[in-house]
Formats: sequence, structure tokens, C-alpha cells
Amino acid sequence: MTSTSTTSTPSNTLENRPTTKQPAEKRPSTKGRSDLTFRQKLSHFDYKASPFLYIAPFFILFALIGVFPIVYTLNVSLYDWHLLKGQGDFVGLANYESVLSDPFFWNAFGNTVSIFLLSAIPQLFIATVIAALLDQSLRARTFWRMSILLPYIVAPVAVAVIFAQVFNQFTGPIAGLLNLFGLEPIRWAFDVLPSHIAIASMVNWRWTGYNALILLAAMQAIPRDVYESAALDGANKVRRFWAITVPMIRPTMIFVVITSTIGGLQIFTEPKLFDGRSNGGAGRQFQTIVLYLYELAFPRRDFGRAAATAWILFLIIVFAGLLNYVIARAIRTNDVKPVRIAKPKAYLARSNNGGRK
Amino acid sequence: MSTLTERLTPVTPERREERRVRRRTGYEQPGLLTYALLFAFFAGAAFPLWWSFVIGSRQSSDTNLVPPAIVPGPNFLANAVEVFATIPFLQALLNSLIISTAVTVSVVFFSTLAGYSFAKLRFRGRNGLLVAVIATMAIPTQLGIIPLFMLMADWGWIGTLQAVIVPGMVTAFGVFFMRQYLVDVIPDELIEAARMDGANMWRTFWHVAIPAARPAMAVLALFTFMATWTDFLWPLLVLGPSNPSVQTALAALSASGGQTPDNSLVLTGAVLSVIPLLILFIVAGKQLIAGIMQGAVKG
Amino acid sequence: MTSRRAITASIAGAALFAIVASGCAASGGGSSDGKITLSITTFGTMGVDANYEKYMEENPNIVIESTNLEGGGAARDDAYAKIAANTGLSDIVAIEEGWLGTIQEVSGSFVDLRDYGIEDVSDQWLDWKYKQGTDADGRVIGAGLDIGPQGLCYRGDLFEAAGLPSERTEVAEYFGGDDASWDRFYEVGKEYVAGSGKAFYHNPSFFWNSFVNQQEEGYYKSDGETLNVEGNDALKDQLAMIVDAEKAGLGAGLPGWDVGPQAKAGEYATYMCPSWMLGIVQGYYDEGTTDSGWDFADVLPGGAANWGGAFLGVSESSEHKEEAAALALWLAAPEQQAASFELAGPFPSTTEGQSLVADSTNEFFNNAPVGEIFSARSEGVIAQAKGPEDSNIQDNVFGPIFDRIGQGEITDGDKAWDEALVLLDQLVGN
Repeated sequence: MTSTSTTSTPSNTLENRPTTKQPAEKRPSTKGRSDLTFRQKLSHFDYKASPFLYIAPFFILFALIGVFPIVYTLNVSLYDWHLLKGQGDFVGLANYESVLSDPFFWNAFGNTVSIFLLSAIPQLFIATVIAALLDQSLRARTFWRMSILLPYIVAPVAVAVIFAQVFNQFTGPIAGLLNLFGLEPIRWAFDVLPSHIAIASMVNWRWTGYNALILLAAMQAIPRDVYESAALDGANKVRRFWAITVPMIRPTMIFVVITSTIGGLQIFTEPKLFDGRSNGGAGRQFQTIVLYLYELAFPRRDFGRAAATAWILFLIIVFAGLLNYVIARAIRTNDVKPVRIAKPKAYLARSNNGGRK
Repeated sequence: MSTLTERLTPVTPERREERRVRRRTGYEQPGLLTYALLFAFFAGAAFPLWWSFVIGSRQSSDTNLVPPAIVPGPNFLANAVEVFATIPFLQALLNSLIISTAVTVSVVFFSTLAGYSFAKLRFRGRNGLLVAVIATMAIPTQLGIIPLFMLMADWGWIGTLQAVIVPGMVTAFGVFFMRQYLVDVIPDELIEAARMDGANMWRTFWHVAIPAARPAMAVLALFTFMATWTDFLWPLLVLGPSNPSVQTALAALSASGGQTPDNSLVLTGAVLSVIPLLILFIVAGKQLIAGIMQGAVKG
Repeated sequence: MTSRRAITASIAGAALFAIVASGCAASGGGSSDGKITLSITTFGTMGVDANYEKYMEENPNIVIESTNLEGGGAARDDAYAKIAANTGLSDIVAIEEGWLGTIQEVSGSFVDLRDYGIEDVSDQWLDWKYKQGTDADGRVIGAGLDIGPQGLCYRGDLFEAAGLPSERTEVAEYFGGDDASWDRFYEVGKEYVAGSGKAFYHNPSFFWNSFVNQQEEGYYKSDGETLNVEGNDALKDQLAMIVDAEKAGLGAGLPGWDVGPQAKAGEYATYMCPSWMLGIVQGYYDEGTTDSGWDFADVLPGGAANWGGAFLGVSESSEHKEEAAALALWLAAPEQQAASFELAGPFPSTTEGQSLVADSTNEFFNNAPVGEIFSARSEGVIAQAKGPEDSNIQDNVFGPIFDRIGQGEITDGDKAWDEALVLLDQLVGN
């Protein structure tokens, strides 16, 4: 709180207050601080410029580190560019044409979508359930909440070893189980759908806890009294979940869906590690788009087409992200921003102490 | 938490119902089902790590045992010693610590700043710029690697820690994450009130936004730290042998076993690499969770 | 509130520490206090590291900084990326035979070792190895390290049980000795299957490899540029032979690598063994095993063949070319090659190096005189011209075909060949 200033300058009175360039205040200041023109201008500048200053670091760094590679990649994609030998002839959109008519690309596209769906959908569901479970007043709360992050910290190299063993067609535990029941072995690394399931499992194992914690943070921001009031109205746990929790964490759920989509379309590490010697299986059974890109760039050294693939993927992701966003907005019952506290307010008004502790 | 007035009202059937309901809501203990499910998730999350430890303490050929080996053996210490002897593990740990800390502090700070701006401040082109930020997440990192590598080379940063730290200092993910969180959590009135009180933009940010953002900041800090710790491809390309990170050192470990990697050694290394994070969990965990909990109190 | 301040303070402190520390850590490499640091990148187990200490002792002004990548594939990608970015290659780079062909396309990235005295010692190498390291313009960019002469690993115990000879000289004779042919090999295979009821080998792709390497011209014609696959009847016939062998049950349908458990269970009895493969088979078993039943014979169907082998190249971007070249040549010298062999098993490519290890035996393989055998096996190897897409064709054209053959999905030789050609066209044709 600024203390009332009585000494600085005599221009303290109402008449001397300048009429131009008022900051966008709804009510005049009643605190009696000295209204210097300079200070008002400074404040106005502060108000207008600060947002740009605050977002500047991101954009500056991104311009340096992000824009250059993007533009460079676009440039590369327009040439017949050999990875080692360098820039060749200008070919315009030929690389794009060639990629879009390559059956391997579409195979990778199909694989990517399949793995994405197999991972994103269960993940979202399970992460929400875990978050809801953790949202309660549990015993050893910290322990449970931290434990779901364990998969995320295991080194990629180790994950490869672990899951290659789990899904080993010959000597893995699943194979052993199947053998016990006299069933046919599942060829995890050879057949298409099993390989997708195996890889989706790796992705899910690693990322579900991560997404659950994000959703938990959002759930924790919901005031407890809202639940109390709802309970007083007779809503049981499940109803409270659907009526209060889910709508109120919607922005975060959208966030999780969008980041999962973007991440899911870019899956690289898991399929690469699943069969370290190939780029997505000897017959491309689980080659994702990024693996296809990697194969073009490194073993096949066709930098131009790899760059074109990167741009195609970028456009796909943007499109998918926008699609997600549009769908999410369409099924929202009301816009979150202005009526942000509308529902809880109603409950708060009716509960005993107005919702404040 | 019944007030005096409540206690003094007669105990009618309606009151009894109310009490029963109240007991069902905030004060009941989570049921057995909850704990059972949580334990199941925990087991699924922790078993692979436990198994890594088991194999690390036995021998590589035990990898293929069915049912999987679950009892540890005697070799862990010996293997650990070998890990430290084979690769500069201590230095790798230190490097990873430096990188992860620097990136985390930077990302959390700049993301909160930018996220706050996008969430609460009004300025020209805000929505367009936000979409731009999100769009940048769409770029697959694998291809940008070579141009970025060239850039690092131009600046003479190959083999230095800066080459890993600087590209990671602000992330679109962080900005988007903080924005989504802050949009709901900070009431507009609070900001107005602060400005009425004469606070400039920075003080508003520091005294209103940051306290409200703490739970999300804690989560973002945790994620960023862990993501940087497990980052593999870029450090591999850009750091030299004299400056390994934990993950590149582990990869070198899996190389030292020849064409068929010595699983036992690799998994020992993996377990060792997880220990600092586990310590972080234990030490800072309570703080972080408390941070998340605080968000629940604010209305 | 104090805890909050404490956290803020510790975070600020950590950040400051990080910035300062990264500044300190940034200084490193290059030359300080008169010493020259040479960086070298190797992969897998080449045993080269056995020699660093000695060199640094003899040359106190040199510090060797080594990176060992997990495999040839990772090393290849790493080298490609750095060549593409035109920077970042270590002073000395280990190059594998498999992607040497590709490197030859950009051989300008590596120095001509003739400028650093390699011609003075050029005859210490097997001449086909020296030739391999020479590019189309006659520049010698790679000093030969090891070679992969191939012999036949086999399970003496399983052979005996199936009624076949089990002593290694007898086995060599049985397959035809110096006139061993592939036809005979598959014949013996059928005998084994009949006598034991189990598969003869785990995966046919290794045998295919050997066969290709035995040809005068492999996937490429001698100019190293023209493809030699379509219309290549020798390759086509061999492929048909393999398909028939699979149908006769010779193959176990296993993937090419990581087949340790099946080895122990005796599910197959032979293994194509270049020198470095010995270590792999050995790695399937616990350390110190001596009664695994594996033995090693001095025979290879089709004659001599080489698979693999590394070279050391000195990058043009090195700031200490002289010292690097000196180190590279020293590491590739017979004595050092022998030391590497002792440590890790890669077979020397210098004749003197080979004689230094001539007496070595391998306990795991029933005390087989591996030094002798590999020396014998490395004679008569044809220096085949490798083209840029060689490893690509090997791994991505024929690799998938063999997987599918092994899984029983292709049962006709012609069909296999046609599919290979389709893949070839898609991957290499454009």
C-alpha cells in the first residue's frame, strides 16, 4: 500500500490533475498520491509495453533458435539436397510430390495415427481417473503423487531394454504366459497391430503419470467448498466428478489433448528403441512419420525429401491441433472466461460462509 | 466444523440427513478401492524400475528369465563401481544437474511471465501470437537438429553446456501450460485491485500472479527438470566426450559391452541415474506437493 | 513465509551456480599448457582403447579424448550429421566397412593419409584392405584397423548327436574344405535336420551376406556406381536356394540378433562367424563358460569372404592433422592391432599383426586356434567395390525379405526376388 504523500509537490489538487492520457482506470484514484504527468505516462507505458516485454524472451529466443532451423528446413526442402554432398538443383515442390506419392509415407502415416489413438485415448482416460483418485485427502499423499511420475524418470536406454524384454516374442513374460496356456506366440516385433500395441504401451507407461499430474494441478485449484455445496445438494461422488470437476478442468484437459496430439504425431524414441537396428521394424510395421523422416535423412541421406516430410508433418500437426481445439470449443457448454466462477458462485452464495475460509 | 448456531439447532430428521451427507463429502476417508487402484498403478509404475535394479544386481543373462526375476542379487555394488570406472559418471551427474537446474529456472520464470501476459493482459495481436506459440510446438525436433547444430558450431558452442541450455531456455509448452492455468486461477478483479492500489505491471505480476501460479509453477518446474534430465538426442549430438550428460554417459555404457550390450551394467547405470531424481523427489516432494495443495485453498 | 524465502533464495542460488558453473565447464578441449588434445570417436568394442595409455605415455604432450558410440549404426549417423553440418567431427573417426562406400562419396572430408606417410608402411596391410581405404581418386582416407574374415562356428556336441563329424578339421573337410560350396552347405544342413529334428541355423541373412561378399561384383559393379542387382542371376539363384532351405526346415525363423536363449537351448547349430562375431556368441553365455559346445572350423562355403572391419580416418576439419595422423597410423600398426585383438577380438588387418596373434586360442570355442584360422581365412578375400547404397540395400531391401522368409511368409524363390526388386526400386531406384 502506498502511503499518502503530503509533501512532494503542491500539485496535489483536483484542478491540477491533467486531463490527457489517463490510464484506463474505471475509478479515480482516491489514495492521494501525487499525480505527476510523468508518472502517469510511465504507468501508461508500463501498461501498454509490459505485455510485449513479458512475452519477448520467448519470441526472441525462438527467433534465434527456432526460426532459423525452420526457414533452413523450408529452404532445403525445395532442393535436391544430399545430406553429405550438399545442395543440389532447385526442384521446387518435387520433394513434396515425391513424399506424398510414396507408399512408405502413407504407411508411416497410418502407423502414426494408429499408435497415436492407441496411446492418447487410454492415456487421457486413465490419467483423469488417476488424477481424480489423487485429488482426495489421502494418507501418504506425497508418496502416491510422486510415485506416478516414476516411469517418466527412467532413462530412455533402460526403457528400451525393459520393454524389449517384456515384448520379446520368444523369451518375454507374455510369451511365457501364452505358452503356459498353449496359445500361439504373438509376434510383437513382426506383426503390425501387436507392434503398435507394444509401442503404445511404452508411450502410455511413460506419459500417463505425467498427464495425470497436470490434471491433478488443475483439479486442486477447484475450491473444496464447491464440492461441499454440491454434496449438500445430494450429489454423489460420480455426479460431482462429472458436474464439477470435468467442466472446471476443461482448459487443462484441452491442453493435455492438444499436447498429446502434437506429441503423439511426433512419436520417435519409442519405436526407434523398440527395434534399435531398424527404423520402425524391418518391414516398416511400426515406422512413424518421424522415423520415416529420420530414415530419409540418415541412412538414405536424402535431406531434401526429409525436409519436405518435416514440413508436411508440421502442417498435419497444425491441422490436427486446430481440429482438436475446434471440437473442444464446440462441445463446451459455456465459454470459460467471463462466467468462470458462475457455477461455483451459485453454490458459494448458498453455503454458510461465502466460500472463504 | 459445525458452528455454534448449528449445534444449537434441534436435531431434526433433516438435520440428521445433512450430517450424514456432510460426512460423505469432505471428511470421509477414501475407500479401499481407491487405495487398491492407486497401488496397482504404483506397482505398474515402479516394477520396471525395481526389475532394473534386480537385473543390475545380478547378471545379464537373467534378463530372459520367465517369470521375471524379482529377487536382487549380490552384484550391484560391483557393477556400480564398474559403471563409475567405465564412464565419467560423476561428471555426467554434475553436468546434468547444472543443465537441468539452469533450464528449469529459466523455463519456469519466462513461461510464467509470458503465460501471465497471454492469460490476463490485453494487447494487440494477443490471440494470434498465442496461436503462433502453440504452432511452434508442432515442429518435430529431429530435423531442426542439423541447422541448429550448425548454429551452435558458428557460435563456437559445440561441446559446451550452453549448447544444451540455451535452446531449452523457453518452451512453448511452458508458456501454453501456464497460460491455461492462469486464465482461470487469477480473477480479473484481483489484478484490477492491485493496480488501483498503485502497483505497476511488474509488482502486479510479482505479488498477484506468482503466488497464484505457484502450484502450476511447481509442476512445470518438476516436469522441466525431469524432461531435461532424460533428454538424449540433442546432448548426444552436441556435447563432446569431455562433457557428457547422464544420458549420453549411459549410452556410452551400453556401447562398452560390445555388440551385445551388458544389460546388467546398463541397468545398473540406469538405476544410478535415477537416484538423484529420487532424492529430489524425496527432499523437494513435500514442498512441491504443498505448493500444489496451496492452490486448493485459494478461492 | 521463511520457507518461501528460503526456496526463492535457494532457487536464485542454484541459477547463479548453474550459470557460473556452465561458464567454467565451457572451457575444455583444444590446447592448454602446451598439450595437444586429440579427439577420437570409435564404436562397439574395437579394443582400440587398449592402446591409448601407452601412446600418452610415449607422447606426454598428447592427450587423447575418446568417445565410444554404441554401435556402427550410431557412429554412422553421428558421422553423417557432422559431415553434413560441416563441423564437429573428431580429429580421428572410426569408419566401418559397411558405410565406407558412402563416406567415399564425400572422401574430401578426410585427409589423404599419403601426405602423412602412410605409403611408407602401406605393405604392412593386406592389399585388399589397403585398397578398400582408398577412394576413387587414389587418396587414402582410411588406415585399416581390423578385418572380418569368416569361418564357421558350430555346435560340436549337436553335430555329434546328429551323426555328423564334430572335430573341427573333420568338419572342415566334411563341408568340402577349400572347395566348400553352398550347395554342399545346404546338403549338410538337411542331413543335420534329419538327424536332430532341429534347425541348422537361426537366420539366413548372414549367409546371404557372405555370399554377396564372395562375388567379384556385389551390389555394385566395379565402378562402385552402377547397381548390379537386377538381372544378377548369381544373387537370384542363391536367394532361391535359401528359400528352399527354409522350406526344408533348416532355418529356425529367429531374428538375426539377440538369440542367446535359443543358442543355449540348442535350437540351432551353426553361426556364420566373422572374427567379431565370436565375441557376440560368447556374450550369449555367462562369463567363463567353457563347455557350451561351440567350436570353430576353418571353412566357409563359397570360399573366403570378409564381413566388416574398420578404418581410422583423420578429418579435414582437425586442427592438429599431423598429430592426429601420427596417432591414427600408430593405432593401426601391427603391435597395437594385436593388443586390440587381445582385449576385444577384432582381427588385425596387418600381416605382422596377424602373426603376432597367430598362437591365440579361444577357450570358449573349445580352444580353437583362432589366430591361425583367421589368418588362413583372410587369404583370397576379394576386394569388392562397395557403392554408396550398399548397407542400405543389405539392411532395407534384403533384410525384410529374409525376415519374411524366416517367418514363412514367402515360400517361392521367384517371388522373393521380385519383392526384393520392388523394394530396391522404391528405396534406391530414384
